[in-house]
Amino acid sequence: MKTKIGVFICNCGGSINNIDFDAAGAKVAKAPDVTCVKSISNLCLEEGKKKMLSCIKKENIDRVVVAACSPDFQEHFFRQVLENAGLNGHLFSMANIREQCSWAHEGDVTVKAVELIKMAVNRARLLQPVKKKKFPVNKEVLVVGGGFAAINAALQLSRAGLRTTLLEGEAVLGSETGELGSLCGFDISSMMSEVEGDENIEILTSAEVRAAAGKIGDFTIRIRKGGDETSHRYGAVVLATGYQTKLALENELKSNVNIVSQKKLCRMLEDPNLEIRPRTIGFMFDFPDENSRLSTLATLNNALAARQKWDSEIYVFCKSVKVDSPGAEKLYREARDCGVVFLKCEARPRITADNGRVKIEAKDVFLGEDTILACDLLVAEELLLPSEGTEALSSLLNIRRDSRGFYQDENVHLYPVASEKKGIFFSGGCRGELDLSRVLTDVSSVVVSGYELLSSGNILADVERVKADPQKCVACLTCIRVCPHDAIQLVRVDGGKEVAEIFDLACDACGICAAICPAKAIIFQGYRDEEILAQIETIGES
Amino acid sequence: MENNDVLVVGSGISGVAAALELANAGVNVYLLEKDVVVGGHSASFCCKATDICSKCSACVVLDKIKEAVIHPQIRLLTNSTIRRFSGEVGNFRVEITQKPQYIDQERCIACGLCTEACPTDPKAVYAPPAEATPFSYILDEKLCLRFKGEKCDLCRKGCPTKAIEFELKPKEQELSVGAIIVATGFDVFDARKKGSLGYGRYSNVLTGLDLEQIFTREGYLRLPASGEEPHNIAFIQCVGSRDEDHDYCSQVCCKYAMKLAGLIKYQNPDALVTIFYIDLQTAGKGFAQFYEEYKESIRFVRGVPVEILQTASGELEVRFENISQGKVCRDTFDLVVLSVGISPGKNSWDLARILGINLADDGFFGTDDSLNSNETNVDGIFLAGTCQGSKDIPDSVAHGIASASKAIQRLIEFASQR
Repeated sequence: MKTKIGVFICNCGGSINNIDFDAAGAKVAKAPDVTCVKSISNLCLEEGKKKMLSCIKKENIDRVVVAACSPDFQEHFFRQVLENAGLNGHLFSMANIREQCSWAHEGDVTVKAVELIKMAVNRARLLQPVKKKKFPVNKEVLVVGGGFAAINAALQLSRAGLRTTLLEGEAVLGSETGELGSLCGFDISSMMSEVEGDENIEILTSAEVRAAAGKIGDFTIRIRKGGDETSHRYGAVVLATGYQTKLALENELKSNVNIVSQKKLCRMLEDPNLEIRPRTIGFMFDFPDENSRLSTLATLNNALAARQKWDSEIYVFCKSVKVDSPGAEKLYREARDCGVVFLKCEARPRITADNGRVKIEAKDVFLGEDTILACDLLVAEELLLPSEGTEALSSLLNIRRDSRGFYQDENVHLYPVASEKKGIFFSGGCRGELDLSRVLTDVSSVVVSGYELLSSGNILADVERVKADPQKCVACLTCIRVCPHDAIQLVRVDGGKEVAEIFDLACDACGICAAICPAKAIIFQGYRDEEILAQIETIGES
Repeated sequence: MENNDVLVVGSGISGVAAALELANAGVNVYLLEKDVVVGGHSASFCCKATDICSKCSACVVLDKIKEAVIHPQIRLLTNSTIRRFSGEVGNFRVEITQKPQYIDQERCIACGLCTEACPTDPKAVYAPPAEATPFSYILDEKLCLRFKGEKCDLCRKGCPTKAIEFELKPKEQELSVGAIIVATGFDVFDARKKGSLGYGRYSNVLTGLDLEQIFTREGYLRLPASGEEPHNIAFIQCVGSRDEDHDYCSQVCCKYAMKLAGLIKYQNPDALVTIFYIDLQTAGKGFAQFYEEYKESIRFVRGVPVEILQTASGELEVRFENISQGKVCRDTFDLVVLSVGISPGKNSWDLARILGINLADDGFFGTDDSLNSNETNVDGIFLAGTCQGSKDIPDSVAHGIASASKAIQRLIEFASQR
């Protein structure tokens, strides 16, 4: 069947004044398959679009070319006109005769405008429709983790009407969260009883993920709990596995009882039976790496508590105090006001044991002098690391990690909680050093993302916008390796041959696979080789 | 009658992020903006990429704004403010005043013929900033002859789409919505308040925001006074943060200063860049790595100068305490950039009064409870972005999305109680 192409040329209210529209229209009209050429002033306004719509219907046009401004401004709305006329929005091609032609040159540019329009016509002739379809999705969510972020995510997801499974490796939920709660003033036990009483939340403790398959809307996760392994299906997966801290001091000092972690100090502060209260306490942070947002907060909170409870003398050694979290500057001021001494050092202090005490030697930049301090207790600097199992889980789910091993190597869409793989989200400390208010922000973001994806039970998406031709595919795996969204996998077709298949829901239509496929087996609608070549071939014809 | 529509007040990046999230979840959104263009501060920030992306997020802002403007479920109300407000969660009534815009945004095709026709100098009708959305021309009442009582009609006659209309009155309308998200953003700290730093007096003392806009519009850095390329540049951190009046860290200045310094070094590898600081805030996803890369090529000096004087030759003499030597030093620079911080919006008080929501001690909306940063004292009104406290772009986006999540959750809960 012959295509009928309609060309609509806009003079942009007269601001395109170096093109002879009548001559251009006449030349374009001679191009093969062009059924009608209309010059419409102000095509982008309501009246312009109306004229375009009625012309498409009257002339039975099945491909549309618009020659006007940059597609940046109006392309979306013109596609809408096609849809309103009952045409597929992908059967549309645009020629930019304003920014890239009229406004870019002095003098008459009719020849160039005609070439641009002809290129668009040649492309339009070959365009194919892309249908949309509602893909059904599983409405359950899996939350991996059992700490503050995970419990809150499960509670809020359930409130938003999504059934949630909470999967925790430990035997109980929240086992690592107690100290955090007392430090930051929330009650983990009430959260836990709420989560346990929620019918919409299934809790799997002492459980782990063994295998994962599937894509957004339908993940199949193999879970081992006790001796059993079972498969479960979820529409989305939320990772909220948190972080762990590790003392950064040399091994021989780790055994020194006077050197403790922030967590240990927390427990000491809570202990009513503590016999000896340390008179002098040193804190250290910001030396091994300068990611000490959380160490700063822990130090400020613990220093204040020790000052108030024990009346200890407190010295903090650091490079920079990281006050870039809500309320941190206030805490810093409060700590200084009540007598906590901050010593800023460029180099890491030297730590030695000294008659049962810890000797800290440092050069304070403000005093400009070497300072020697013997303290009863040193709260040592801590490194923030991804929690155990992060690496294993990331390889099971096939998602990348950043240079420090945390989830989310580079946030391609800068959507705070998204992974590169649609349907998998991160929340909280597993993606970096986030204070509690940022963790809660993450949790809410995850909940609304889950709600958006799953609440209606289906997702509207393009069908086969990008498709691998099973005849041409040689299963070289190149596309699978380059796909940033993990949207391609091998499937067996009739005859036992394995070929690449692109999952419409997981695909982001970035086109990388189509560009790289050595067998030219991948078809990207709108950017197929023949469409691009047809545009190039027409250059210079006139 | 319960209502599930949501009003988002403010169309900066957090408001836009909230609106998009709500709209994508099927909620009808009114996006209110007091200005004629959408996007707030972050839309004017420059891309800070060198050979590689520095992840400053400036590009994300423009993408999101564009997405919001064309979203069928978001109704944009520019040039509008809230006048009165009543009701409760699920059923708020908000009275809006929309100032006349004289150029109909839906009819303006940005052809520029009105500017050509305008007889005044400077022109009273002109193109919006290049990054503006919607890209509709602006008629300035203060410059237009028509508003000075003359009978000039040239732009209206010249307009091919009849988009210009002079006889317009402010439009009033009442919206009824189920929840409200306040995302009114921040004011940039006015560096003139620190008189000893010379901003506004010396042309080669700029703010970080000035630098952003120079890079956005020009693409490269030249001295405002002479037009020459600067060779010796200083950044002064914490101008309007962490002082007697500002009991908080603005969270963005270390990042933007270092990224701008990186961009300057990239364009001119011979340039010397010094950053004066109190504490370097290098935490944050991916930023520590960036800092490691530039640590060697940028000179970091601990302590912030309090005085800048201009020498007879036009150079800027910065007096600072050299901590390692324990004495006062003087250094001269061609250009000094003040890393101005985030201040609470000056209109916050009015809005707080109209909506009945609390301001915290520091002048931002909300309570001091950092664990509920999206909530206000009024059920159904939520906070997003820097109107609640300082945030960088990724944190503002996250906070905006979180506020949308809270609003949806509250409306679901509200519906189930009925």
